[in-house]
This record gives sequence, structure tokens and C-alpha cells, in this order.
Amino acid sequence: MNAQTTASGSTPAHRPAAYGGLYAELFEKEPAVLEVVSAGRLTPVGARPPIRAYLAQLWNRRHFLWAEARAKVTSGTRETLLGQAWLVVKPIMEGVAYYLIFGMLLSGSAGIENFLGYLVIGVFLFQFATQCVTGGARSIQSGRNLIRAFTFPRASLPISVVLRGVLNLVPTLAAMFLILLTLPEQERWTGAALLFPVVLALQTLFVTGLALLLARLTSMVPDLNQLIGVAMRFWLYGSAVFFSIERFEKYPWIVGLMEANPMYMVLDAARDCLLYGTVPAVSTWVGLSAWALGTLAVGFVFFWKGEETYGRA
Amino acid sequence: MAELDQVDPFAHATVAVQDVHVRYRVPSTDAAERRRKAGPLTRASRTVLGRQPMVLVRALSGISFVARSGEQIGLVGQNGSGKSTLLRIIAGLENPARGRVLAESTPVLIGVNAALVPDLSGEQNIRLGCLAMGMTPEQAEAAVPEVTELAGLGKSIYLPMKTYSSGMGARLRFAIATAANPHIMLIDEALATGDAAFKERSDARMQKLRDNAGTVFLVSHAAQTIEETCTRAIWLNYGRLVLDGPAEDVALRYRKWAWAIAKDRPEEARSIIEEAFAEREQTFVKVEEPPPGRLYTPRHVRPRATPRRATRESR
Repeated sequence: MNAQTTASGSTPAHRPAAYGGLYAELFEKEPAVLEVVSAGRLTPVGARPPIRAYLAQLWNRRHFLWAEARAKVTSGTRETLLGQAWLVVKPIMEGVAYYLIFGMLLSGSAGIENFLGYLVIGVFLFQFATQCVTGGARSIQSGRNLIRAFTFPRASLPISVVLRGVLNLVPTLAAMFLILLTLPEQERWTGAALLFPVVLALQTLFVTGLALLLARLTSMVPDLNQLIGVAMRFWLYGSAVFFSIERFEKYPWIVGLMEANPMYMVLDAARDCLLYGTVPAVSTWVGLSAWALGTLAVGFVFFWKGEETYGRA
Repeated sequence: MAELDQVDPFAHATVAVQDVHVRYRVPSTDAAERRRKAGPLTRASRTVLGRQPMVLVRALSGISFVARSGEQIGLVGQNGSGKSTLLRIIAGLENPARGRVLAESTPVLIGVNAALVPDLSGEQNIRLGCLAMGMTPEQAEAAVPEVTELAGLGKSIYLPMKTYSSGMGARLRFAIATAANPHIMLIDEALATGDAAFKERSDARMQKLRDNAGTVFLVSHAAQTIEETCTRAIWLNYGRLVLDGPAEDVALRYRKWAWAIAKDRPEEARSIIEEAFAEREQTFVKVEEPPPGRLYTPRHVRPRATPRRATRESR
């Protein structure tokens, strides 16, 4: 498919290198080799594949994503004496600490029945979102070594951060259920609890979209990384993690804003399922699904559009 | 040109690099750069934000060549001449500012900075590395014994990677990267770290890869390595292609030049490099686009009883 042709006679005259390029081309007729290759057999390297091929590539890397996430989850506790036990012990201790601070000292429980359960669900699920969002936003920078060493769909990086978050969530959830079941306050366990995994799945889709979106944004403007911590703080207080939304009843616009907030929807739905034994309202389901699928679609397409830019040093 | 006759006439192009330019904008602490073309406002803002003036670095300018199957191409040049950048461009890990690279299959880069997980043992890293290259878990599992044998680390393969010496790490990376049996392999200084016993094994492995009609790119400062293991060499200097030809000739000239530089004889070095520039045959790469698919296929050439979608996908 390729041919070599020597364009002209070869008498390499000794000439200063400074007269390269055009001069030589015009006056000296330096011997040139013309190589013809066919674009049919050779394909451009590092080009952004169409979105379906991209999805297929990602799917083919699922084993790698899983193995990597598992390796990184346990590597954090490898040098401790208790090892993997910390993955369960730490969230339990955190739950107790929050209970002591918010339940006893600050008495924020005013008007909330089963405050400890309310708090534990809020704190743990929000922590999962924080982990995924901040980690996902940093994933391109922290994965630079991998990007410069292997060819793989770059969306693997934010997605593996979310996967790691999910793996971290498993022991956290175990701790959460342990707290819910052992503490004196009574929950009403009904069939609604079976809907909890659906809520979690929607939350995972939502944070995946957000991680993809922020991963590209911070690779374009690294300064955003500094702002994400502040934004997460606002979001934490805007999602009714420690207090009830009734506190803002006098300001309907704040209530409206909070109720449109996807994380509030997640926490509300999770509490309905686990604490109050009721099926979340249809409006919550619709709103949450719209947020989850919308963010995922927008985030994924936005990230994919920038696929060729992530390798820049 | 005479050496081209030795090239297997049936060897086909595996990598085509067409007029590649790479530039970086990087901060510089050069005081001269600080004074250049900067108004008081610019300087004040730099002081406040603690930023350095940005300069444009041309890492590669106008590189063109075609590599064929069965070729082992050595890249020589001093530090910072653009060898590693060229490898990253060929591997598609970075995109050039201008020009393009075409390849037959995905080139695999084996670098010294290939990130493996330091907390995991060598054995676990082999599995992870194989999966990262896109193998299935079964293929990765099957590749483990072969990789372990090539790396030749003995019982150390079960110890965490972070306890390895740099040479051991480099051997493991090399072994993992060759496990995929890549058709186009790019090696960045990986061989330089191995000891004599490993060199023997890796040479055998490289020979096997070459026999499988792979194309190998090898970066090394040691011109001797290039001479011994490569069939062709490319000399880069400050991002420009100085010479592209048979390994012995290019490596010899590069060594003479490097020797002149080392002995602080800039005139001699200059004349060597100018001579090389003059003798270089400029390569132009032309990419022939395949004929575009027709919007309308006449009825008599249409495949019968096949839905339209299937034909489009099969193309």
C-alpha cells in the first residue's frame, strides 16, 4: 500500500544548515523521499472515538476499573494494625462523634424524631457524595502518570473514583445499619426499606455525572479545585444534613431551593425509606431521576468531547 | 538510500508520522524573559499572583517518517531533544499542535514512569497492568507465569512494589508491557536498568517480538545500545530531525558529535551536525484517503437482502 519514490537526483551539496526548508526546496532541489501511506489501513492515533465506540471501550475496561478500585480501597489501611477493620470502625466512630456534637452539645435535634438515624443517614450519604465529587474533580491531575503511560478511555479515571467511593460505602452502610438497629430509638421497618438501593443507585448515577463534569472543568481551569471545597460546604448546609428543613419555613424561597437540590432529595428519600417507613413521594422520584440521568448524560458527553485534551502536560 | 534496498520490500508501513509539531507554554524564571515585552501592569500582576512569564518551547518541529513492520528504530539525541515527547506522541498519549500520527494498531509505551500501584505486590501488579492494557481477567491470569519468568525477580515478585529497587521495578514494567504482545512497542530507556542476566532474556524477548513482525521504537542515550539492537536510527536535536538512516551510521555520527560536545569543541560538533543535516533526505509523508463512501449505492451493486445498517457498520 505504500511506495517510495526518490523525487530527484541525489547530489547532497554541502551547504549551511541555515538554508533549510523553503530555500532548499526552491533552489537546491534536495533529494526528498515521498512516502505514501493509505489512511484506510492506518488509523489516527489518540483521536477521540465516536461516543458508542467510547462506551464500548469503557465497558471493555470494566475489569481493570474494578481491580484498581479494589486495590486502592484497601491500600489506605494496609499499614495499620487493624487493617481492613478500620473501614467499618471509622464510620461508626464518626457517627458517634456527630451524635455527641449535634445531638447532645448543640441540641440541633429540635423537632426531629429519631435524630441519630436522621443524622447518620445524612452524614454518611453526603460523605459519599463529597468523596466522589472532590476525588473526581482531581482525578485527571492525580491520574497524570497513568494518562502518560497507558492508552485507555480517560473517563475511566473519574469513574474509578466513584467506584472506589461505592466500595468505601459498603462498610459505611454496614456501620450505618448497625447504628440504626442497635440504638434505642425505634424505626418503622417496612417494605419501603427495599427502595433504599434504588435511591443509592440514583445517587451514584448523579455523582458519576458530576465527577465527569468537574473532571473536565478542573482540567481546563485548575483553579476550580480550590473552589470545590467551599462549594461542598455550602451544599452540605443546603442539604439538611444536620437539621430539619422546617427551620426555614418562614423563607419559602430557601425551602424551594433546598427541595430542588438533588442531594436533599437523596437524603429525604433515604430517610423516608429507612426511618419513617414510607415510600418517597412521586415528585421526589421524578426530580431525583431527572437530576441523575440528566447530570450523567451532560457530564459524560462533556467529558468525552475533551478526550484529546487530557494528555497535555 | 542504499540501505533501503535491504528493507524487506513486502514490509508494510505500521506507523506514519506526518509533519508533527509540539509546543508547550511553560513558566520561565529567566530574568531576560521577565523584562521582555512586559508593561508595568503585566509585571505588577505577575508579582501579585506570583506567576512567571510564559515562554513557548518547541519540543518537536516538523518530524516526518514512516516506520515499517520488522523495523527496530532507535531514537538518539541529548537530554531534552524531544525523544520521549516523540514516543508519547506516537503512543497517542499527547496530541501534537500540528501534524498527525497514524498507526496500524495501538502502540504501547513502556516508560520508566509507568505507574503501578506501589502498595500491591509485583504479582498483583502484573494482573493489574495486564488488565490496564485491556486484557480479560482470564488472559491476565494466563500471562502471569510468563511475565514472572521474564522479570526474573524470584520470590520478590510476592513483595510490595514499593520495596523494589528502581532496576527491579523497571524490569517488572518491561515484562508487563511485553506481555500484551504489542504489535508496535515504544520503549523509553527501560532496558538500560537491567543487569546482564536480564539483558540476555530481554534481548531474546525483543527478538521474538521483532520476529512477530512488530515495530519497536527504542529511546536510549547510549548510542552503543542502539547500534547493537536497532536496524534504523533517528537522531533528534532540539526537536528537529537531524538524520534518519541505518543504525550504525547514525549512531556513529551521533557518538562523534557527542564526543566533540563533551570535549568542548563546538566547531567540530557544529560541522558534524551540519554535514548530517545536509545529507539528510527530507521525507514527506502523504496520506492517501480511502475513497469516500457513496451516498447513493446503485441498485445493481447493493448487497441483496441485507439491511442498510449492516452494510454501513461492516465498512
